[in-house]
Amino acid sequence: MNVSIELYASLMKHLPPGKSRFRRDLKVDDGLILNRLIEQFHIKPEEAHLVLINGHYIDAEERDDRKLAAGDVVSIWPPVAGG
Amino acid sequence: MKQNQKDRYARHIRLSQIGEKGQQAILDASILVVGVGGLGSPAAMYLAAGGVGKLILNDFDIVETSNLQRQIIHHNHSVGENKVDSGQQTLEMLNPETKVEVIPYQLEGDELKQTIESVDMVLDCSDNYPTRFEVNRYCVETGTILVSGAAIRLEGQIMNYQPATNSACYQCLYSQAYESEESCEVEGVLGPVVGVIGTLQALQALLILAGLGEELVNRLLMFDAQGMHWQGVTLPKNPNCPVCSGH
Repeated sequence: MNVSIELYASLMKHLPPGKSRFRRDLKVDDGLILNRLIEQFHIKPEEAHLVLINGHYIDAEERDDRKLAAGDVVSIWPPVAGG
Repeated sequence: MKQNQKDRYARHIRLSQIGEKGQQAILDASILVVGVGGLGSPAAMYLAAGGVGKLILNDFDIVETSNLQRQIIHHNHSVGENKVDSGQQTLEMLNPETKVEVIPYQLEGDELKQTIESVDMVLDCSDNYPTRFEVNRYCVETGTILVSGAAIRLEGQIMNYQPATNSACYQCLYSQAYESEESCEVEGVLGPVVGVIGTLQALQALLILAGLGEELVNRLLMFDAQGMHWQGVTLPKNPNCPVCSGH
């Protein structure tokens, strides 16, 4: 199935070469678990601070059970504490 | 409201959503600004310009030359001064009607809690997790509104805690396990990025004071400056949050 991943801000360094600066469209196994997708991009759990599917917040505890569906857009933002 | 105040804040009052009632709430308000750096600079300046009755500035730091590219409340001649003293001077020039108090050392423990309890709202403009966690905890314990901003490099975030609602708190978003050695000194930051987030903190503060905070409850905004990407998300209250779940 096809899904998309968007890595923002300092997480963009984890994207393989591609056209978009922040987004990649991918073919993945049906029912892929969200955290397995995140691991494929070598993003540490503490870096994947805010994880959204289609703009909805997914709590850290749900990410090991959440199955992706065709067309899902996964967006990930890093933690920020500076000021 | 005095005539000179009606004149000064006429453009606020002209807004049907604010009016004299909203402006009076702003004039009557007191706000603690924790951190007078990149976020606290524009935040405090807009709050003072907007007529907030009393601001308490808290920062233990001294103005350095490398601050001036983004910390716009400080000036070239402020280098070497306490940030709170420099900030107070700027705010008094902007609006002498706003009473500005300064606390030039690290607020913590009971003194931080008592200071938070004494104000209507806190703006967290600090730069580290331990301070953010402590400020959030005392805001929850004392039922004080919190507007929390953060920014570094080319990215930023902003959220708020409104105790009168079933609002998520900072620790619903960041668990106590978060640690970071990241700083603007090491990572860098583009000046207007902290300006944008600090300005939004002031905006949220004025909206909440004027009674327009309802749509901001549980609203978290993330900003990626390079692509001008904004993403807004509803952050649910964590029923297991160690800080706010009992409140």
